[in-house]
Amino acid sequence: MPKYGMVIDLNKCTSCQACVTACKVENNVQIVSEDDAQHGRAMFWMKMLTMEFDGDYPNIKPKTLPRNCMQCDEPSCIKVCPVRATYIREDGIVAQIYPQCIGCRYCMANCPYTVKVFNWDRQAQPKEVEKTYNPDVSVRPKGIVEKCTFCVHRLQDASEKAKAEHRELEPGDYVPACVEACPVDAITFGDLDDKKSDVSVASRDYRAFGLLEELGTVPKVRYLNAIE
Amino acid sequence: MKKILILLAIALGAAAGAYVVSSAVNREEKVVQPISFNHALHAGKYKIPCMACHQRVMMGDRASIPNIEVCGACHSTPMKKTPGELQVYQYVSQHKQIPWYSIYHVPDYVKFSHRRHVGIGKLDCKLCHGDMTQLTAPPQTQFLQIKMQNCWNCHVKHHVTTDCSHCHR
Repeated sequence: MPKYGMVIDLNKCTSCQACVTACKVENNVQIVSEDDAQHGRAMFWMKMLTMEFDGDYPNIKPKTLPRNCMQCDEPSCIKVCPVRATYIREDGIVAQIYPQCIGCRYCMANCPYTVKVFNWDRQAQPKEVEKTYNPDVSVRPKGIVEKCTFCVHRLQDASEKAKAEHRELEPGDYVPACVEACPVDAITFGDLDDKKSDVSVASRDYRAFGLLEELGTVPKVRYLNAIE
Repeated sequence: MKKILILLAIALGAAAGAYVVSSAVNREEKVVQPISFNHALHAGKYKIPCMACHQRVMMGDRASIPNIEVCGACHSTPMKKTPGELQVYQYVSQHKQIPWYSIYHVPDYVKFSHRRHVGIGKLDCKLCHGDMTQLTAPPQTQFLQIKMQNCWNCHVKHHVTTDCSHCHR
């Protein structure tokens, strides 16, 4: 059984936010109203965090960090879910089962990375957006917590396709939308247990670090430190 | 008088609401198709395999209901002049899509894939849809009701995964 993980190279990342957009479109993440966004209820599964600004105006260079669900090996969110709506799968993906979620938001409070988002309301979406909904992903109703699932529907589709063709799942068959959209290949994705895979090699690089690793959550999304 | 009117309005509203809810979950609601398609003739007598018309079974989630592109392959000219066949011919000759109704609906938070069940799992169509070769008229209700209990029973019986995220999305 593979263990999926991701490494994001901050040296390569140009903060273009293609991953943010790709994620939002792929997973039918709701576009909230301006008012809600001002109250901190904007919904993103992949978010570009601004760490600091370098340089003086007008030559400002922001330092950013793309942040999705860390898919921890020891997730703190699953320990507090009273209905097992979130749990860790055998392949290491932390799943979120929407029909089972009761919207108590304990998991949101317990996630140190604040990656989970809550559907505070169900707003009417622009017509163009409704036409482009991804049929492989459900549209979550009001009162449900959601988060990045490493585009698990793509894994289902790829493994189904491989089985129908009587072959094993190959490394390039399954990649999340953010990895696919990244124009500079800053995001590497694959099987961490395969010692020869790109992602496994990158995760053991001397520049590699995990966010808030000291908490013992063992994140499977790691970063490669930017070197000036 | 005003009070009675208000009460009446509330009662009507509640009834309408109950109807909407019941029709949304009613799996026994009878569906009448625009053409009385004879499965016994096509699949039974002429032994046309299911996948000849429901062509997307092996390709993805939905099995697809055939329309004039598929029907027209045989019915571009009328064969026997039965009323049903003439109806098909009309649709084909006018290049109008037949407004079939789908009976089996899976909620959008459930992933059901025909490719997974029929293609990989090699399940017989009969298991969920019944023996269609005996039906002279289109089925009006679901043969195996779309309920999680039915899915679950089969998964447990055949030792298939019961991991939530494999079917819920």
